[in-house]
Amino acid sequence: MTERFAAPTTLSEALGILAADRAARPIAGGTDLVVAARQGRKPLPESIVAIHRIAELDHQGVVDGALVVGGLTSHAWLAGSPDVSAGWTALADAASIVGSPATRSTGTIGGNLMNASPAAETTAPLVVLGGVVTLRAAGAGSRMLPVASLATGPGQTATTPAELLTTVTVPPTAPGSGSAYIRLEYRRAMEIAIVGAAALVTLDGDGRIAAARVALTSVAPTIVRAPEAEAALVGTAANAATFRAAGQAAAAAARPIDDVRASADYRRAMLVVVVARALAAATARARGESIPIPASRWAHGQEV
Amino acid sequence: MSPAAARAAPWIRGDGQAKATGQARYTADLAFPGLAHARLLLAGRAHARIVRLDTTRARALPGVLAVLTQDDVPKRRYGSFDLVLDRTLFARDRVRFEGEVVAAVAALTPELAAAAIAAIEVEYEDLPPILDVEIALESGSPLVHPEIDSYRHDPNLAPTGNVAGRSTIVKGDATVALAAAPVVIRERYVADMAHPVPIEPHTVTADWAGDRVTIYSSTQVPFAARAKTAEVLEIPEHRIRVVVTHLGGGFGGKCDFHFEGHVAALARAARRPVRLVLSRREEFIAPDKVTHAMVVDLETGLAEDGTILARKARVLLDCGAYASDTPTIGQVAAMMIAGPYRIADVDIEALSVYTNRTPSGSVRAPSGPQACWAVEQHHDVLAARVGLDPVAFRRKNLVHDGDEGPTRQRHEGDGAIDTLERAVERIAADGALGPNEAIGVASGWWFSAPGPSGAFVRIESDGSGRIVTGAQENGTGAVMALPILAAEELGMRPEEFAITYQDTDTGPYDGGSSGSQTTFNNGRAVVEAARDVKRQLLELAAVALEASVADLELRDGHASVVGSPDRRVSIAELATTAHSGALLLARGSGVPPEAPEHDASACVGRLGFESFASPTFFCHAVRIRLDPETGIVRVLKVVAATDVGRVLNRIGALGQLTGGVVMALGNATTEGTVYGADGRQRNASLLDYKLLTTADGPEIEAIFVEHPASNGGPRGSKGVGEPPIVPTAAAVANAIAIAAGVRVRRLPMTPERVWRAVTTGDDGATEVNAPFGPRAAAVEAAVAAAGPDRR
Amino acid sequence: MPELLQLSVDGLPVSAVVEPGRTLLRVLRDDLGRTGTKEGCDDSECGACMVLIDGRPVNSCSYLALQAAGREITTVEGLAGPDGVLHPLQRAFLEGGGIQCGFCTPGMLISALALLATDPDPSVDAIRDGLAGNLCRCTGYQPIVQAVQRAAAEMRGEAGSAAS
Repeated sequence: MTERFAAPTTLSEALGILAADRAARPIAGGTDLVVAARQGRKPLPESIVAIHRIAELDHQGVVDGALVVGGLTSHAWLAGSPDVSAGWTALADAASIVGSPATRSTGTIGGNLMNASPAAETTAPLVVLGGVVTLRAAGAGSRMLPVASLATGPGQTATTPAELLTTVTVPPTAPGSGSAYIRLEYRRAMEIAIVGAAALVTLDGDGRIAAARVALTSVAPTIVRAPEAEAALVGTAANAATFRAAGQAAAAAARPIDDVRASADYRRAMLVVVVARALAAATARARGESIPIPASRWAHGQEV
Repeated sequence: MSPAAARAAPWIRGDGQAKATGQARYTADLAFPGLAHARLLLAGRAHARIVRLDTTRARALPGVLAVLTQDDVPKRRYGSFDLVLDRTLFARDRVRFEGEVVAAVAALTPELAAAAIAAIEVEYEDLPPILDVEIALESGSPLVHPEIDSYRHDPNLAPTGNVAGRSTIVKGDATVALAAAPVVIRERYVADMAHPVPIEPHTVTADWAGDRVTIYSSTQVPFAARAKTAEVLEIPEHRIRVVVTHLGGGFGGKCDFHFEGHVAALARAARRPVRLVLSRREEFIAPDKVTHAMVVDLETGLAEDGTILARKARVLLDCGAYASDTPTIGQVAAMMIAGPYRIADVDIEALSVYTNRTPSGSVRAPSGPQACWAVEQHHDVLAARVGLDPVAFRRKNLVHDGDEGPTRQRHEGDGAIDTLERAVERIAADGALGPNEAIGVASGWWFSAPGPSGAFVRIESDGSGRIVTGAQENGTGAVMALPILAAEELGMRPEEFAITYQDTDTGPYDGGSSGSQTTFNNGRAVVEAARDVKRQLLELAAVALEASVADLELRDGHASVVGSPDRRVSIAELATTAHSGALLLARGSGVPPEAPEHDASACVGRLGFESFASPTFFCHAVRIRLDPETGIVRVLKVVAATDVGRVLNRIGALGQLTGGVVMALGNATTEGTVYGADGRQRNASLLDYKLLTTADGPEIEAIFVEHPASNGGPRGSKGVGEPPIVPTAAAVANAIAIAAGVRVRRLPMTPERVWRAVTTGDDGATEVNAPFGPRAAAVEAAVAAAGPDRR
Repeated sequence: MPELLQLSVDGLPVSAVVEPGRTLLRVLRDDLGRTGTKEGCDDSECGACMVLIDGRPVNSCSYLALQAAGREITTVEGLAGPDGVLHPLQRAFLEGGGIQCGFCTPGMLISALALLATDPDPSVDAIRDGLAGNLCRCTGYQPIVQAVQRAAAEMRGEAGSAAS
């Protein structure tokens, strides 16, 4: 049962509480923590630091070509920002399909990353886009960590309890690049990824794949890169056959599990599909073609 | 207002404004001074012997007001409709499903109640769960109810082994006819369990005053809830009052008696009002009303030209741990497998089989969607075998006016054919199919349910009307639409009527919101009462206008002389007159229409559905798009044509239709209960038990065909609440088969199952490789059955 | 430790002493008697508990009450005018068959209100996506979508031009 509650308005105040109170845990929108407590999966922490009033964590902008957003940035902002849609499209794809309008307006990017769910929507896009988080703790200054290294297991991160995720920085993509995030979903909203794939594709002057990054959702304890798929792509013509081959390479290396949402067999097979579709969408965007956001509905032929 | 004008006027439900403003009080919204909070201890395991049950620590906790087990209530078994008296209020020696109630507590706060539950000590000896109906039927299978032979039961049933009930629908000699048929196809279809999922979870509050208790319950059947509470607690029925304030949906999940007895007993012990509200997880596993898992084996013989000659079938209904009303539904399932088709020889058997799963029951059109999904796919397979398209096959075989049904009842009207033609015409109107798109159709029927029902109608001193009814409004608007019927009789406007309803102390008996019966039966009662009031008004008017009753009519709020509309007196004036003398007051119930003439002499397990009274006919046509790589099916459009006899309230009928279709589509594609090998539900949450969202809803076009029934409800109407859910999954299945080139014989047709069918040809009917499929679970359980696992 | 919570609900300043772990939904329903907002699940999936916090839609069942300190909460009970005149959304739901059992209605209305505040002329798809966090088991959604279209048209001053 929660005994202590604080809602500081400054970052230093919040960091001070987190440093002084070892039981204290931050809460932003609460969309994950409170649900887990209500379902009896994990009780609310003994001490809560509500960070939602800290203006220093609620900023958004493009700095030197990089997307720099505070940890309190909502999915709704990411989904609606023309900058994100233009430069970091996969992130917009992901943010726009998180939960419902309420989830998107309340849930934050910081919370989504720190919750470390293997099904988190925004993580795979941030991994391929090279996102970096800034962590701060009282008296310890700050450190930066790639999003790819943040989660260490379901609900586990490489952070200390005193640290707060303050900023997410996403570098600009190279010219000739496009990105996309595709989720396999049984229904069109309120869904959790059965599997998902984010892709970043950079084309050379001949239209061949100069560089590619692929990250996978819901096939491992954390969101993972697919180096086998990436290796299969570089130097190839960007077409359906290479996308599929990359998907197969990713699937061959993946070790998905059976659970209530899907069998491992189906997940592995669907990995081929979502990787190929993410690559197709990212490549189309790299070519300057307009692919609607979110790309999932377009990719699954579900636009009506 | 003329009857036609009354029907055309926009209808605004009487409870609508309260609901739109948040002022409508549902059961959980009611406040009581000193209210205590209940919580149930559920078994949490599918099958176990209770070795030790100790509530001492729980009782000793501060703030705990009552802790009850079976030792604290009368020792008696009960059962739905007294079909099989196979259960007790609390589990005593043995738990038979995960959600079975072992104990109940009342405490000052919900948190204290939870703590008390945690303090109850139970030691179980786990037994291997029986999770598969076919394994349950094997000789030597462990019994879900070892004492079954001592249970009292309906004389038409002979429960034995793991079979709670057996019913057959038999006409002619199907064995002989099949042997002679030039074309015979055998198929198996398997449906998983599904849930009703009302958005309001079950809620019950009990409040005692002396030896009388008022139970506020989210029930669809207040009178049944009262009767069973009386029975299990051994309290005279007249000391129990069941009140439903507003009900947040039911879909059959709130039929039957659920927790009223537990909460009434708790409140009596706690000496204060006690409220129970189920969590969503509990709502999934504990209220024993889920859609039946079914195994359907079909064998149909055809002539070369595609005429159906004969059908044999066996339907296994998984009734779960307790029989509930499943034996009755087995008989319904058998009728649904026969369908509204001309078949000379029929031999259909339905078995209600016990397993260690959540008990099934009368969820919206129970057995209908699964049976229709199986048999209508079967019909497409048969059609293809003889080179007929699905529509031509149905045209050839569906019943027409005067044709005989599976027990020789005579069909009335061409509703089956007309709904087919209209649905097909409209679905084709949307133009050419795109890639991976297909159209599927399915036809079917469903019964109306004649039964006793009563209402009072009175005219108040100000000339307004009031209907006092025992009928129950579960959201469909059926009770809210009763004023339309009374107003038509009395020449008044529907909005001039108030309704007092769903209170067992106030209204006469009604069967509750089940079986699409409210308008059919309570409508009849209201019409009869209104006609009596009309007679009383005209007698008063005859005096006032110095005219003969025979020359008078009621219209526009007045009694007037036919042909001389200026010679009139208002109903309000007549009401004033009446209130100084004989009041304008009437009762009605009418006589429930009799079942159609039929011959069920060859049938066994007869429980009242040997014929279908005033059946509703329907056909749904759907247009889908399949993503063949993922197996995801998107339903683009549904045309739902229904012969409801007569549309009494268009907006209400439409709402039943659009709602039924989307519920059916969820059942068809994304829902389905998933069990682990341990017999516990793995998807008891709304994230993993996936109802369709607004974003998934297709365009729905409703077509009403009106062939009034001569022995139907008011004005020839037939049941409208359940039919819309019946054929949609079947139509989707037939469309999938066309788009995919392969058939899926497992319901729900999840993306993974469709994908598996597309990639491997596995139709799912013998699915063993799904991680949590019930058959896989049964295999795992059989392995685990080597010896009881003491934990 | 319980704390004093002060906030505004449907335009009225209110206060309650609440435990830190208490959700906004429980405060609204149990402490403040505002039972118009409903509880239908425990995982923020059904949307019956939807309220606006400073105009943004929030599942109040998974939002800590103390986080709402000082905020303006809008519930279904605040939709009608002070004179009791129904909001166009409420009227459209009523007249268009958008209400059956009514248990999802409070949340649906709130989500529709949030949608129309940001998109006064939504397409059918936008309405369907905007209401996707609110489950309804009765209506099949179509009457609700049509009601939102009608209300939106009326709120834009196009009464009578609405889709029927």
